[in-house]
Amino acid sequence: MDVRLQISMVFHLDKCIGCHTCSVACKNVWTDRKGAEYMWWNNVETKPGTGYPTKWEDQEKYKGGWERKNGQPELKMGGRVLRVLNVFHNPYMPKLDDYYEPWTYKYEDLLNAPEGADQPTARPISMVTGQHIDIEAGPNWDDDLGGSPVYAANDPNFSALTEEQQAELFEIERLVFFYLPRICNHCLNAGCVAACPSGAIYKRGEDGIVLINQEVCRGWRMCVTACPYKKTFYNWSTGKSEKCILCFPRLETGQAPACFHSCVGRIRYLGGLLYDADKMLDAMNAQDYNLVEAQRDLILDPFDPEVREGALRNGIDDATLEAVRRSPVYKYVKEWKLALPLHPEFRTLPMLFYVPPLLPVMANTDAGTYDTANDELFAPIEKARLPMQYLAKLFSGGNVGEVSYALKKQYAVRLFKRLETVGDMDAATVKQALHEVGMTEGEAEAIYRLTSLPTMDERFVIPPSHREEAMQMLGDDFLLDRGEAGLGLRDRPARGA
Amino acid sequence: MRNRTFKMKIMPVFIGVLLTLAAGIESAAAQNLPPGAVDFEKRCYSCHNINGGDKKGPDLKGLLDRRSKEWLREFIQAPAAMNRKGDADANALFKKFAPEIMPDQPLAPEQIDGILSLIESLTKKGETFIPTGAKLSRAIEAGDIDAGREAFTGKVALNNGGASCIACHNINGVGRFGGGTLGPDLTAVNTKYKDPELISILQNPNFPTMKSVFGAKPLTDEEIVKLFAYFQSAKFANPAAQTQPAVAPLNLWFPAIGFLGLVLSFVTLNRIWKNRLRGVREDLVRSSKK
Repeated sequence: MDVRLQISMVFHLDKCIGCHTCSVACKNVWTDRKGAEYMWWNNVETKPGTGYPTKWEDQEKYKGGWERKNGQPELKMGGRVLRVLNVFHNPYMPKLDDYYEPWTYKYEDLLNAPEGADQPTARPISMVTGQHIDIEAGPNWDDDLGGSPVYAANDPNFSALTEEQQAELFEIERLVFFYLPRICNHCLNAGCVAACPSGAIYKRGEDGIVLINQEVCRGWRMCVTACPYKKTFYNWSTGKSEKCILCFPRLETGQAPACFHSCVGRIRYLGGLLYDADKMLDAMNAQDYNLVEAQRDLILDPFDPEVREGALRNGIDDATLEAVRRSPVYKYVKEWKLALPLHPEFRTLPMLFYVPPLLPVMANTDAGTYDTANDELFAPIEKARLPMQYLAKLFSGGNVGEVSYALKKQYAVRLFKRLETVGDMDAATVKQALHEVGMTEGEAEAIYRLTSLPTMDERFVIPPSHREEAMQMLGDDFLLDRGEAGLGLRDRPARGA
Repeated sequence: MRNRTFKMKIMPVFIGVLLTLAAGIESAAAQNLPPGAVDFEKRCYSCHNINGGDKKGPDLKGLLDRRSKEWLREFIQAPAAMNRKGDADANALFKKFAPEIMPDQPLAPEQIDGILSLIESLTKKGETFIPTGAKLSRAIEAGDIDAGREAFTGKVALNNGGASCIACHNINGVGRFGGGTLGPDLTAVNTKYKDPELISILQNPNFPTMKSVFGAKPLTDEEIVKLFAYFQSAKFANPAAQTQPAVAPLNLWFPAIGFLGLVLSFVTLNRIWKNRLRGVREDLVRSSKK
């Protein structure tokens, strides 16, 4: 047993209102620099939709992530030889247009324009070229199904649906969408780390955060291709690649990352997980439908004394273990099996988990007509407008069982609380619903509390990072051991805004 | 083919010439060395002559009538600095012999005096300086021309690890694309320099660039014989070059092949990466407009 610690995340999609506060918080803190304007380390997508960058899920185009070859996981973009051959011309890169050309407006024209018959306008100008542009795309161009015949209709996940099911999704009064906030998944077996020819990307041993060393990065951009979630970005100004750093300077001082902290719907949870690194290869090699289960098996029980022993052996101390025991992520992912990884079939073992959305709550179709005033109040999930296959394609590698279990469990919690607070439910039905997912009343109550009424300290259980110990582990002359390569940073890091 | 038969015909004639020449050098060497002769040969002779006319630098005949000893001492040790200082005589010399720049000579004052006295005595006698060491170690043989060509082109590496001549120099008809253009064209080098001068240069290349390349990695005696023979042969193989030296003909094939190669490589690269990703969103928008 090789026990490691991973700072892990849960996003509760049923609570996301798609307000983009997280994206703005992240942008203001990290990516409002020259060369980084087009990056959204955190973005919120509408599903169905093509997302950011356009159709990032389509790995036949972008060649991200891993695939099984001869029983071994291999990068889809090709092995070492192919990567070396393509090193000067990586053929599977998203164009700037697939992200979007960042723009601002020429606001000074509003004040400086000469007097005329018409109001002056602030024309959009590109933040890359400084020239006027006609805005044709944005990082969230298909928000709320905008432009759906172009974008949502081409959602790569529709491959799991029949033509009829797809057509139904866009019928009037049957339209359905939900929001999918995305950040770097800080994967256990990140494609970006494996693909980097310079060895600039690493997974921090102490907390599993995946980082790009800006001193070592030489801008080969293999990580951009290798990441199936397209969450590494190339900064055209510094010539280095960048990615979400999970606000590690905030984490190290006990604060939640900016996007977590600012989340209006309080959908985000953060906490430590212990996992067994020895089992990783098996988890990566599992069959598609089995991937979620295999990944869940990696996660270790922090209450198990044997696990504690292994953790102590690997330098994970009791204070950290204590935090891991209170981790909301552990509860959602392992205990309750409510949270599922996004696209586990990319086989990077992503460590950001999503509670699939139960929306819309009051939906029912009766003989082809849509009825919101349903007798049952909560329509059973089998009748949900969003087909299970679609959610399964997103969150469980096509395994409908995993998704429907998570939804049924949430559904049961609702029935249980409705009975308790309003009392207009049939007690036997509620009991049946709880029984169906093997849930006790205590567990239902706990799920309800952590979903609806969590305090800040319950949502973010950040293990102490012990930076002082990490510094000591690096040895006395760690400053001398720093790698040097490439042209280095062209700009000195400056203080202040 | 024509070229080849021509070479065959002249070979015996020209080897005969060389043999007598080499013998002449041999006999002139048996003299007592005047003071400064060794230094002059090592340090000055690549560019200067006494009573033999201007080379890269001026003929030094009657030098002491023209300049004071103090001026000479300073100038010899640091000519460029003196030129920068604005010394009128130095400026005039630098202008006349541009673009050559005399390198600084790290010589002791006694050594300089020795050289100056040598110049004085030869001027008085009206004799030309004949270097004693500048002679071939052996007579030239039939195979030396080809061996010299191989040493020149780098087919056979130089013994002491020096760079092959072709890296910087051209000789008419050498190599597929000619030699380098950093150094002067050596096609007519044997008319530009007298034989002992050329041998001396091969022994002690005192030009700033050559010195830095060959200073620590000198040519061996054997290589000097071969290269000398090869330089001599150039005179016979390319008589035209004697009248019009150092102008390499513009070879239009070179840029033409280059351009063709460029186009070809673009076509090949485009074929190899024809399945590359050319944008996703644009396609989506285009196909939806149909």
